[in-house]
Amino acid sequence: MSPRDGSDPHEPARRHPSDHEALAFRDDVEMAEREQAAGEAPVASPPSGARRISWQKWTFMPAFLVLALLATWLWFRGARLDSIAHQAVDNGKVWLALRQHIQLTAISTFFVLIIAIPLGIALTRSRLRRATPVAMAFANLGQAVPALGLLILLVIWLGIGAHSAIVGMVIYAVLPVLANTIAGLRGIDPTLTEAARGIGMSPTGVLTKVELPLAVPLILAGVRTALVLNVGTATLATFGGGGGLGDLISAGIVTQRMPVLILGSVLTVALALLVEWLASLAELLLRPRGLEVGE
Amino acid sequence: MSFWEYVGTRHAQLLTDTYQHASAVFQCMVLATLLGVFIAVMTYRSEWAGNLATTSTATILTIPSLALIGLLIPIVGLGVPPTVIALTLYGLLPVVRNAIVGLRGVDPDLVDAANGIGMSRAARLFRVELPLAWPPILTGIRVATQMLMGIAAIAAFASGPGLGNEIFRGIASLGSANSLNQVLSGTLGIAVLALLFDAAYVLIGRLTISRGIRA
Repeated sequence: MSPRDGSDPHEPARRHPSDHEALAFRDDVEMAEREQAAGEAPVASPPSGARRISWQKWTFMPAFLVLALLATWLWFRGARLDSIAHQAVDNGKVWLALRQHIQLTAISTFFVLIIAIPLGIALTRSRLRRATPVAMAFANLGQAVPALGLLILLVIWLGIGAHSAIVGMVIYAVLPVLANTIAGLRGIDPTLTEAARGIGMSPTGVLTKVELPLAVPLILAGVRTALVLNVGTATLATFGGGGGLGDLISAGIVTQRMPVLILGSVLTVALALLVEWLASLAELLLRPRGLEVGE
Repeated sequence: MSFWEYVGTRHAQLLTDTYQHASAVFQCMVLATLLGVFIAVMTYRSEWAGNLATTSTATILTIPSLALIGLLIPIVGLGVPPTVIALTLYGLLPVVRNAIVGLRGVDPDLVDAANGIGMSRAARLFRVELPLAWPPILTGIRVATQMLMGIAAIAAFASGPGLGNEIFRGIASLGSANSLNQVLSGTLGIAVLALLFDAAYVLIGRLTISRGIRA
């Protein structure tokens, strides 16, 4: 994880990533793979003292979104639309775009999870441990490829439509979850796994009862990152005929119809912020209780 | 036409696009670094101001780039202005966050010692705190640059400069003989640029990280 996860000042008690991180900081290879994990990610750092955070923080975002959407809707009602603008938004096209966008995000995130988490677990088992640097280097190299280019190359290869967009989104979002899963599993205090083995747990038992629960906070942070990334990448699906809110934005830009452009952009921003908010809520609720004893 | 033939015949156009792409990202990154370090220096001492700076820049980063550009177009028009504003805003978060963490992580004893030998606040900042916080800041700059490479490609849709234009030309002629070459040259060009910048940062790190804290 990046420095920002490591030395977050108000999480004195969350031992495992921090100590490890501070050390890893100097190591070039490690650093490269870590900074990717969290850095590339829009919002990877788990809100630390989050459970103590007041209700204001949890109600601010939805309230803000409701107000912003309401204001946009009222303004859009009053805006003068010509026939071209009408064509872009009439007949439920806005709802269709929104629904497509949510579908694209949900489907691609689902595939990211079922690919990245098992892969992360496999790469931390002792047998495959040596392959990890190779896999991470490969994944980081892939990260240099721009999402837009990747998506369009897939469209040329697999044909126009939502499926190409989903494949591209999955490829693009696997890395944060994979890197966080590996970092989470590796950051575990080895004495804990040794103790688990010592009391006679099977390797599967150690993994499911000790390692995975301890890695959950980092894995969830990776999932949140992937979700937010996917909402963003889904806007690019429009260039390959994949639908989504990008349809409204690109129609607005191409036809120079500002109301359509603004409506599409505001809806996309609202969706991204809402997803982020929901994911951070989920992150908080799903974190194992045992990890909080120290706080 | 094979890919290499395509690159051969269009190399002038491709080189211009590549140069513009690199230059846009580089200039916005310089701007973002200056702004980001400035914000961090102003806020890192206070718990809530630092957190506010981090939270608000993180919120900007949550916004999909196409949507942010879409919101900027009605205000500043098409072309270079929305590109520069969007790239600078997205470049801020990693720099601000890492600079705050780095500055807060400076050993208080060292700051005390700097005070003790009579350094002024500015001297302490520039000669003690910032050099010590530089490695994480540089990491933030690296992360941000790689991200901006991809976002700059999207900005071409709003008539921004750079290799994104090559990709969008390919999209416009999807199905024609050259579309694959166009998309491929734009994509590979950006990937190569990203890797070159990354290598340059490693070099910069070697040259600029204070010898005392090098591993």
